[in-house]
Amino acid sequence: MSKARTTFDKASERFVRRLAGYTSRRSFLSRVGAAVTAGAALPLLPISRASAAAAPETDFDRYAQATDDKRCDYWKYCASSGVLCSCCGGGHNTCPPGTEPSPISWIGTCRNPENAKSYIIAYRDCCGKSACQAERDCVCDGEDGALPSYRTQLDNHVIWCFGTSSQVYHCSTGALVGPAN
Amino acid sequence: MTGGRLGKALLASSFLFLIQVTESARAEDDTTPETYGVATLKLPAPPHRFITANGFGTSTFTVFDGDTGKMEGNISAGYVPNFGESPDGSHFYVSETYWVHGTRGARQDMVTVYDAKTLSAEKEIPIPSRALVNQLHNFGLSLSGHRGYVYAMQPASSVIWLDLKNQTAGGTIDLPGCSMIYPVGDEGFTSLCGDGSLATVLVSDQGKVTMTHSKPFFDANRDPIFDDSISDTASGKAFFVSFTGLVYETKLGATPVIEKPWSIQQAAGLPVAGTGVKELTWRPGGHQLVAYHKASGKLFVIMHMGNYWTQDAGGSEIWVLDTKKHSLVSRFPLWAVPTSGAIVKDKPVYYRNLQVSQDQHPVIFLLNTEGNDMVLDATTGKLLRKIEAASGGAAYVSGM
Repeated sequence: MSKARTTFDKASERFVRRLAGYTSRRSFLSRVGAAVTAGAALPLLPISRASAAAAPETDFDRYAQATDDKRCDYWKYCASSGVLCSCCGGGHNTCPPGTEPSPISWIGTCRNPENAKSYIIAYRDCCGKSACQAERDCVCDGEDGALPSYRTQLDNHVIWCFGTSSQVYHCSTGALVGPAN
Repeated sequence: MTGGRLGKALLASSFLFLIQVTESARAEDDTTPETYGVATLKLPAPPHRFITANGFGTSTFTVFDGDTGKMEGNISAGYVPNFGESPDGSHFYVSETYWVHGTRGARQDMVTVYDAKTLSAEKEIPIPSRALVNQLHNFGLSLSGHRGYVYAMQPASSVIWLDLKNQTAGGTIDLPGCSMIYPVGDEGFTSLCGDGSLATVLVSDQGKVTMTHSKPFFDANRDPIFDDSISDTASGKAFFVSFTGLVYETKLGATPVIEKPWSIQQAAGLPVAGTGVKELTWRPGGHQLVAYHKASGKLFVIMHMGNYWTQDAGGSEIWVLDTKKHSLVSRFPLWAVPTSGAIVKDKPVYYRNLQVSQDQHPVIFLLNTEGNDMVLDATTGKLLRKIEAASGGAAYVSGM
């Protein structure tokens, strides 16, 4: 558990550092800091689950693929919820033109089917345009490790357009942060 | 003209057709000017009225009569809105967000007060930024309806409380590590917390806030409680349902009393479900996945067959449970519907939202995201009506 917590703390630190580069809105940062601090004070099992070498495959893992990021079963989307930006002019780690990425993210831990290793994925919403009207197969609801709203950092239901100039949701991305263990 | 139509009708030699055409002709001959008006809703509400949220983003709340399937009216709303009805049924509340240029410009958050008969907006109460998520417990009303609560997330949690007698925002209460609103009488509200406890917040009329935490009673990592669990403000009863299917009945109050949990699966004669990702069994899932019928004490839960981490999956059955005996009353099988977002190809996706009316002959309102709302007899599970309307968000009924 301590190793797991260390892993998460490193990830949190990365997010906060990245935030510092994105924005100078101090009041927003202080609110984010409060949320992340609260999260770090709590044990975070999804990381620990992924850290276990022999973590059993979830339903998502059994069908995950690593070639097409325009499909819900792309492995990095195991805890993603929303419309895939890769179907909307962006990519799994790129916001579509004219949208603004959320400076912070919720996180998931997904298994790459090509090497069976688990990685921390940062999910950011792209914001500032009305919801992307992509084909229905691009509307996803990954559930692995997603927790209710009282575990904010792992909640994929809320619109994560915090700190963007407009909080209107357009689509969601999922980018690899690093190995989970 | 009329004679010509009558002649054609006679040629058709259908007595029924003849009568219909004759009546139609008579109506056309009537030159009395028609009056013009605007419809109103019936008050008190018919027992099987329900209201659903339509659309993502900027939305509409649509009022249906579940007995006829007829649409009775609409309430337009801002971005990812939440809904409430005053306990006396005289007003609706919409907690909503706008940007002055649609998707750009200054953000405005408010709770708009609607007359429940005319559906006209009476008042806009400005509030700080609210949480943007379609969840039932983002908005709550006190027992008397004199207080309102709006959940906010930036992403640190807080709750905005409203003085609805004076239709003003009272203040904002920090809620670190906790979320959602389960009103407690007229005194305050309870929230679920990430450390496995309940936070109970009491707010005096002068705005003095006190917060206490229960002892942790659930594991938020291993077997979290759905934040879309259900409570009845009038009795103070709450049923907190966990991902594996444990039900923690709780008497809300200044000091909540949390009962020992019981298992939905065990109530149905099955083993208690665990957290195995290869442990295929019946599990609760969906979004608005639990409803409670107060008079009978029955709990209605959307269930699906799945492994752990399928907590959002739509259900293929509704299980009806006796909350006093902790026993299964009925299982109602549902009908498969096409849906988007099917990640696992061989996993059928069904319904994610349900609500139950509070009368003596209750019906279930069952929603999916593809625009097919179902009305079921809550005693037999029989499909009474299908309403093909573009809805699929949360469903609301009077008295809950």
